[in-house]
Amino acid sequence: MKNLTRAGIIAIAATLLITGCSSTTGAAGTAVTNKGGTLTILTPSTKIDLDPAKSQNLAITTLGLIERRLTTWDIRAGRPATVVPDLATTTGTPSDGGKTWTFTLKDGLKFADGSAITSADIKYGVERSFSDELSGGLSYHKSLLVGGADYHGPYSGSALASIETPSPKSIVFHLTGAYGDWPWIASMPAFSPVPQAKDNPATYGQDPVASGPYKVASNKQGTALTLTRNTYWSAKSDTVRVAGPDSVVFRMSQDPSTAAQSLISDAGDTKAAFGAAFLGAAQLAQVNRDPAAKARLATSQAGPLSYLALNTQRGALKNLDVRKALEYAVDKKAYLIASGGAAAGETATTLITPGIAGRQAYDLYPAGADGDVKKAKSLLAKAGQSSGLSLTLLVLNDATSLAKAQAIQQGVQRAGITVTIAPEDENSFYSDATATDANYDLALYSWQPDFPSANSNIQPLFASSEIGDGRNNVARYSNPEVDALIAMATAEVDQKAAQALWAKADKRIMQDAPVVPLSYAKQSFLRGSKVKNFFVASFPAYPNYLTLSLAK
Amino acid sequence: MTAIGSARSDAPTGLRRVAGRLRADRWATTGLVVIGLFVLAAVFAGPLTAISGQNPYTYHLDRLDDSGSPLGFGGGISPTHWFGVEPLTGRDLFAIVVFGSRTSLLVSVSATVLAVVVGVLVGITTGFFGGWYDRTLSRVIDVLFGFPSLVFMISLTAIVPTSFPKPLLIILVIGFFGWPSIARVVRGQTLSLRERNFVVASNAMGGGPWHIIAHQVLPNVSATIIVFATISIPSMIGVEAALSFLGVGVPPPTPSWGRTIGDAVTWVQTDPSYLVFPGAALFLVTLAFNVVGDGLRDALDPRRGVVSR
Repeated sequence: MKNLTRAGIIAIAATLLITGCSSTTGAAGTAVTNKGGTLTILTPSTKIDLDPAKSQNLAITTLGLIERRLTTWDIRAGRPATVVPDLATTTGTPSDGGKTWTFTLKDGLKFADGSAITSADIKYGVERSFSDELSGGLSYHKSLLVGGADYHGPYSGSALASIETPSPKSIVFHLTGAYGDWPWIASMPAFSPVPQAKDNPATYGQDPVASGPYKVASNKQGTALTLTRNTYWSAKSDTVRVAGPDSVVFRMSQDPSTAAQSLISDAGDTKAAFGAAFLGAAQLAQVNRDPAAKARLATSQAGPLSYLALNTQRGALKNLDVRKALEYAVDKKAYLIASGGAAAGETATTLITPGIAGRQAYDLYPAGADGDVKKAKSLLAKAGQSSGLSLTLLVLNDATSLAKAQAIQQGVQRAGITVTIAPEDENSFYSDATATDANYDLALYSWQPDFPSANSNIQPLFASSEIGDGRNNVARYSNPEVDALIAMATAEVDQKAAQALWAKADKRIMQDAPVVPLSYAKQSFLRGSKVKNFFVASFPAYPNYLTLSLAK
Repeated sequence: MTAIGSARSDAPTGLRRVAGRLRADRWATTGLVVIGLFVLAAVFAGPLTAISGQNPYTYHLDRLDDSGSPLGFGGGISPTHWFGVEPLTGRDLFAIVVFGSRTSLLVSVSATVLAVVVGVLVGITTGFFGGWYDRTLSRVIDVLFGFPSLVFMISLTAIVPTSFPKPLLIILVIGFFGWPSIARVVRGQTLSLRERNFVVASNAMGGGPWHIIAHQVLPNVSATIIVFATISIPSMIGVEAALSFLGVGVPPPTPSWGRTIGDAVTWVQTDPSYLVFPGAALFLVTLAFNVVGDGLRDALDPRRGVVSR
């Protein structure tokens, strides 16, 4: 859980090398793929760990180039995300009412060393993600597999009995309960094959055994990761990876604003490059004044949710009227401008984000663009807090987050609520926000779902099982009624029925006002002029690395 | 030797002479005027920004376009916003710069006072008493000199609980790393003063060590202390700005030049005036303190006095 939440947050913070995408370059089309050239990816990350068990990568970014999974995502401009078979022939066959899932591998699959990929390699890959030394990866599957709660990985010699491999080509997963979104879970990095003979948990992430179109040529942490073609990969067995460039270079430790400047000038090497970090407000303003650069900008549709978490277990915020007052007092317009204006997002009112199937739009606290101070004041008076309410706001210590925090601060100040900003560096911020003992009243948080289902919008943030201990229920919201709704929706295998339940949970949670939804972020990425088929689809809000090619 | 002693013994004349020399130094006079203006701006920040009806906290979103950059010439310069407005918030930049001088001067002057008090105390006592006390503290000073102080300050300001008042923390931290240099200079002067006839005489007449320190040694190092304090203020301002620039200074929304400069760097292509005004303020005030410090040193230097007269 912790890992999953962090993945989402970090994606938005652009601190991890997760990819993004945009939709404006769709006109370039997907027609003919040119082969050859060296694609450069400029990333602010100082470290790229390719170990699938430790990764929170989206299926369409870095790890997707090197490691195939049972299933993967088909991400195209202007179309909703779908889950498609990758190593498997189908996206999984459920039986036992959704509690058992069976996959069969395609024929002729090979690792980069020429050996065959078997179902045992996938079983081993999933098993090692349970081990304590390989932490930090997406962990949805860990609580779903039977016996997962007490399993600690294969290094102590034990296997996980709930994953069966009846033949080298087939693999069966036994779940603790019905889970309709399992095909999405099987697209996560941990479902990549790892040959047991080549595994050393300490170093595997440096140079994993590739199953995708690229393998590691060199990996200098902090400087550059270079990928070259894996000749054992066959395009015939792969419907989503195009493998255009001959090699891909991740240039690490790139300052985002410096990278943006060199991409704007589009000279030399950067013509065949793109930035993995989305643009900040200042760069966006600059690109918008430069028609040549603007043509190379790809902006996502409104997606990841930014919100103000109200610590529902602390002081005055235990009172529903105080939380409702905050819903009205916050100046969402100032917040949006502080994040970069209309190009950087849309005002949010719901928890399920646009682009997720089954979302129902509503606004429980209609307050106009910049809040309703009068209403906030009357609610505070009702709660007996008409003056002197003072709250601390936990926020990441970077210029963008501080600008956003100040927008919140000045907004609620109008209703007489004093906010003290507590900026913390990334590590302390996430550990404090997800700690078991909370030391904050408010926290500025954002969330990108790990897979495009309302499940991933709601469960990690509002289930009472997700409070503290590194988990992402930062509002510390606990309501048995909502927990029951979440359990029902999770077990529902019929997608339509599940979506209706999630939409109901969304509204029910907002009635308790544990968070103030602020914006659905739009993320903009800049490419060099030679990069083709660079787009950001409706989900996720990052470019698709797998379909890029370079112009001659 | 005795010349110095006699020059110090009639202090009023000395002060008047120093003031006269300073007045003759055009650069130092200009520097003093600039410092005076900044001090006045810092003290009367409220009334000063009230002239145009502004304060550094109110948002003016109507002054921004829909991407958050200021509308109009030079970052939104207008009769109500003399320096334009801040991108993304629309807050008045003039008010931010004026209130920022308050932060800068308060932190730097307080940190200097702290550094001078500690430095003089340590310098005089180590120089005067000597022995193991001197050897121990001199090693401590050596260690502090070689210490990567900026890195230490950043980590310290990052780990101290947020409930501890940040401005006080910054004053303490900057002041703590400021005292060794002044202590070393004062110690050197004390070492030579200790052997002088008037100190030996005072000792022979039964003056206790603290009496000698207070009445014989301290007055004779006061010139050094004044020059040193003046010269260290701009470096303290610089350190405060650097900490704010790096995001570990006073927390927002309290205006601080360093933080504004840090934010403005990314805007330099689209809104250069956002960087120019706080940058110019920081440049002017540090330059002014340095020029005045140089002027003071020249004015207090007895050899220069002999040559010039």
